[in-house]
Amino acid sequence: MTYNFDWSVLWRGQSALWLLQGLITTIELSAVAWVLAFILGISSGALRTVSITPLRWLASVYVEFFRNVPLLVWMFFWYFAVPPLLPQPAQDWLFDHGAEFWAGVVALGVYHGARFSEVVRSGIQSIPKTQFEAAVSTGLTMAQAYRLIIIPIALRLIIPPATNESLNLIKNSSVALTIGVAELTFQTRQIETYTAKAFEALTAGTLIYLLLCLAIATIMSQLEKRFAIPGMIVKRQTGEL
Amino acid sequence: MKRLLLFLVSLIAVAGSITVCRAETTLEKISQSGIFTIGTRTGSPPFAYVNKNNEWVGFSIDLVETSILPLISKKLNKQIKLEKKESAPNTRIPLLTSNAVDLIAETMTDTQSRREQVDFSLTFFATGAQFLVKRGTPIKGIQTIAGKRIAAQQGSTNAKIIRERVPTAKLLEFPDQPAAFQALSQGQVQAYTNDGIQLAGLKAKAPKPDEWAVVGEFFSYEPYGMAMRKNDSDFRQAVNLGLMEAIESGKYFQIYEKWFGPKGEVPYPLTPEIKRFLEMQVVPK
Repeated sequence: MTYNFDWSVLWRGQSALWLLQGLITTIELSAVAWVLAFILGISSGALRTVSITPLRWLASVYVEFFRNVPLLVWMFFWYFAVPPLLPQPAQDWLFDHGAEFWAGVVALGVYHGARFSEVVRSGIQSIPKTQFEAAVSTGLTMAQAYRLIIIPIALRLIIPPATNESLNLIKNSSVALTIGVAELTFQTRQIETYTAKAFEALTAGTLIYLLLCLAIATIMSQLEKRFAIPGMIVKRQTGEL
Repeated sequence: MKRLLLFLVSLIAVAGSITVCRAETTLEKISQSGIFTIGTRTGSPPFAYVNKNNEWVGFSIDLVETSILPLISKKLNKQIKLEKKESAPNTRIPLLTSNAVDLIAETMTDTQSRREQVDFSLTFFATGAQFLVKRGTPIKGIQTIAGKRIAAQQGSTNAKIIRERVPTAKLLEFPDQPAAFQALSQGQVQAYTNDGIQLAGLKAKAPKPDEWAVVGEFFSYEPYGMAMRKNDSDFRQAVNLGLMEAIESGKYFQIYEKWFGPKGEVPYPLTPEIKRFLEMQVVPK
């Protein structure tokens, strides 16, 4: 008894269109969530290194709370637990305008923001303390020193782990299917429902994720080369991957 | 980069040429391991669910336990143990083809396109798609759902029909029944479509059953069958014989009464038509 592969199900009927729609939704979801994660990550990562104790505490609470609860729980939380707190008309408006997408964005963004925060913190802490002291001694305030000196340097140092986090975010966006977001994994399941060809659909989904992530990894490695600071991070060897 | 490309190409080539080979038949496999594995649900009362006492029970599971399992034990001349694994609409066919389970016994509709992938037993239950709504909402059936937010279970035939017949309905698909019901009770959606019997089950299990109503004519025909790997006629014969004996001896109707009778988990009386249909599936000895 053998399983008969029939790859044509991937371009017959609506399958190709569904995969494309799924890919677009995955990219949209990941992109918006990434921006949110980036903003939250930089601000809380920086706050974790400042000398003002309450701010450091606040950032620590955010990071530990959000990164230590499974993403799936956050999806349900933002989709099922948060909307009932809003007034009824706002709820109806949200439900009519893709509440599941925005719940997915917030869940992914806030969760990955907490993880990204640790990357930023480690970047900042790898910069010699004298750098900060030098910045302050030129007359910059603490906020200015962070904004103009410390964070720009840290961002250039953390490109490799940040790439890692970004790729994780893209792959984790598939968890949003549990609250009904029609992203790429959802669409591969849809194809499976219509054609009963699970292996073909999953393979197509896998390859699309792989290509998407490879493309991003390639772009990021270019960025890394371009923004490497001589003497602070080893420049990646050119040539073989 | 070149090496990476080469690796990718060979990976794709390997994936393309895999054929899932299997030398033994299902009965041989069961006989060797002594275990008969079924794929079933944990959240589809009363067919297969985890009850208040944390036991995994249901109508479909009872049918397997009382009718099919003894027959297989007798046929193989040894005591066979039943093992249950969780299956869902989108995992059940891969579970079968990968040999993880031997039989899908839950709420799977027998369809022509599914028959291209798996074989089905006799029909052991027949129902059709309807809607579960909060009592008093204007949704009365498939004619009145245009522009409304409708939940469906992902991978179900109902979602497919709604997408084709009412493309203006805002369809939201959830991986499982509890999530869909949660969305309905909070207003994320205005109706939840599934097979009528499953909705009746949800309503019966809800904290306040009177708040809910199952509405609409059947807009699909959903004959439930048990699925198994294709082209394994000895095993299929065993499953079918078990079901036939259960219907003929009346055991089927006792089990039906236990789950769907007036005192059952989900009261859902057997119509004379369906009863006759079940009986006529039993071929003479």
